[in-house]
Amino acid sequence: MSGIDARTAPASTAPRRWSRFKYPQSLIRYGVLLAVLMFLTYSTDYLNIHWDRFLAMFGRVGDLMVNRYYPPDIPYVLDGRYLGYVLETIQMAFLGALFGLLISAPLAWFAAFNMTPSKRFVFPLARLAIMGCRSVHEMIWAILFVTILGFGVLPGVLALTLFSVGFAGKLLAEEVEAIDRGQVEAVRASGANEFQVMLYAVLPQVRVAWTGIAIYTWDVAFRAATVVGFFGAGGMGWYLKRNVQQLETERVAAILLSIIFLVIVAEVISAWARDRVAKN
Amino acid sequence: MIPAAAQASVPAAARAGSLQERAARLSAARLKGKTGRYLIYLGVFGLVVWSVHGTIVVDTDWERIGGLSAIARSVGRFAAVDFELVPHLLGPTLETFMVACLGTLLGMCMSVPVAWLGARNIAPFAPIAYPIARALMTISRSVHEIVWALIFVSAVGLGALPGILALALRSIGFISKMTAEAIEDVDPKVIEAIRAVGGNRFQIVLYGILPQILPVFLGTIIFEWDINIRRSAIMGLVGAGGLGLAFHRQMVMYNYPGVTTVILAILSLIVIGEVVSYYGRKAVI
Repeated sequence: MSGIDARTAPASTAPRRWSRFKYPQSLIRYGVLLAVLMFLTYSTDYLNIHWDRFLAMFGRVGDLMVNRYYPPDIPYVLDGRYLGYVLETIQMAFLGALFGLLISAPLAWFAAFNMTPSKRFVFPLARLAIMGCRSVHEMIWAILFVTILGFGVLPGVLALTLFSVGFAGKLLAEEVEAIDRGQVEAVRASGANEFQVMLYAVLPQVRVAWTGIAIYTWDVAFRAATVVGFFGAGGMGWYLKRNVQQLETERVAAILLSIIFLVIVAEVISAWARDRVAKN
Repeated sequence: MIPAAAQASVPAAARAGSLQERAARLSAARLKGKTGRYLIYLGVFGLVVWSVHGTIVVDTDWERIGGLSAIARSVGRFAAVDFELVPHLLGPTLETFMVACLGTLLGMCMSVPVAWLGARNIAPFAPIAYPIARALMTISRSVHEIVWALIFVSAVGLGALPGILALALRSIGFISKMTAEAIEDVDPKVIEAIRAVGGNRFQIVLYGILPQILPVFLGTIIFEWDINIRRSAIMGLVGAGGLGLAFHRQMVMYNYPGVTTVILAILSLIVIGEVVSYYGRKAVI
């Protein structure tokens, strides 16, 4: 209102200064900004990062790419044994995502605030389980499972399972929380128990979204599966590690290219499948 | 209105003919959809069998793993906390946190031009720039942070810098993709208004687009920062300092209670990050 007053009577009052944020709010904003900037400056100092080292990096990376990584050893990745490991990676990602989804479907039911059987006990436990799986990086899961079970594909599958639980559990639960209450009440009014309500009122509503999330989970799990082998959990990651340690940079370049290629293929397939599911 | 629209969406061929013919056609189509679905189920089931056979039956050496008691024993080694390690973890925790912050900042700076080129409505030289920007986003997202870290460790040596660079490059993809999509969704009327009063290209971006995408941009950055804390905790595994290095050290010393302690430190850092990111995103949006 005062803005209109100021415009209609410009002569009588001194020119008013306009700002989007008023006094205490603006001070807090600038204070937060200043604190963040100070922290960032302090951390460059603490971590001992010098500008010259940072700027020299570009030349060094370019040099490295041209001289050592450049002609990627493509025949190496077209070798039958390597392709066998690619297949193993695909299997690992598939199983990890599948087991993860099988675990996270009931967990999502427990962790959805509107549908959980018990808000006081089951809900926080399920949330905690999902958050715990999410918080620990898949590499750390892989290392832990390799120490417990030894080298092989099985620890990789288990690491990806926990990774998928953390990834999909949250998304699936969010879908359940966004459902229409009407159908739930209707099914409950006809005398259904909690499980039947889930089966007949909730699942049909979230089916399409859950399928999309499942496909996306597989895609993300595959991306993670390409490197969990780095710490001994099977698949292409082990090849990568071996060649990195032997400084076979041209082979490393070829393996990286193959990873990028496979991930893009997986992404295209997943986008196409999600599109199909959403349309039907 | 609605029934008419629904009928219009049905193909003309399905509407022709008597009621019985239509019913037969519909049930045939439904049967076809069902067979397709069962074929997909069958394919998925076959894949499961193949994968289980390949990984769990053939590849796994069950004798070496031993029985449940052996597994329980190896899990049990982790079931303790090494409190003596706690004072030594404060430095690495701070370092991990700083690497995450700086990596996100650098990623933010680098993703601005990529988002600009990757938004179809404002990109200059769109036919050339748009595919390049999209390819950059895909490469950034598809290469795992461990791999980026390996490349940078071999380029700039050990320390926090390769971790920061790896996180920055890994963050570009997501930040610039979300930002580019936000730019493509902006309200064109505002841009038109600014153009009508004589604003140039730069002024359009500054006054027409930036205020509209700023909440999305900041929210995405806070989200990515939260994820980057998780990622920076493993950068040390390939030689980039922080909690990952502490984890690796405890692991190679077979100090399993120490490993548990490091994981707890990572978890507490992530909980802090999650709380800050929750309130930060609330304040921004």
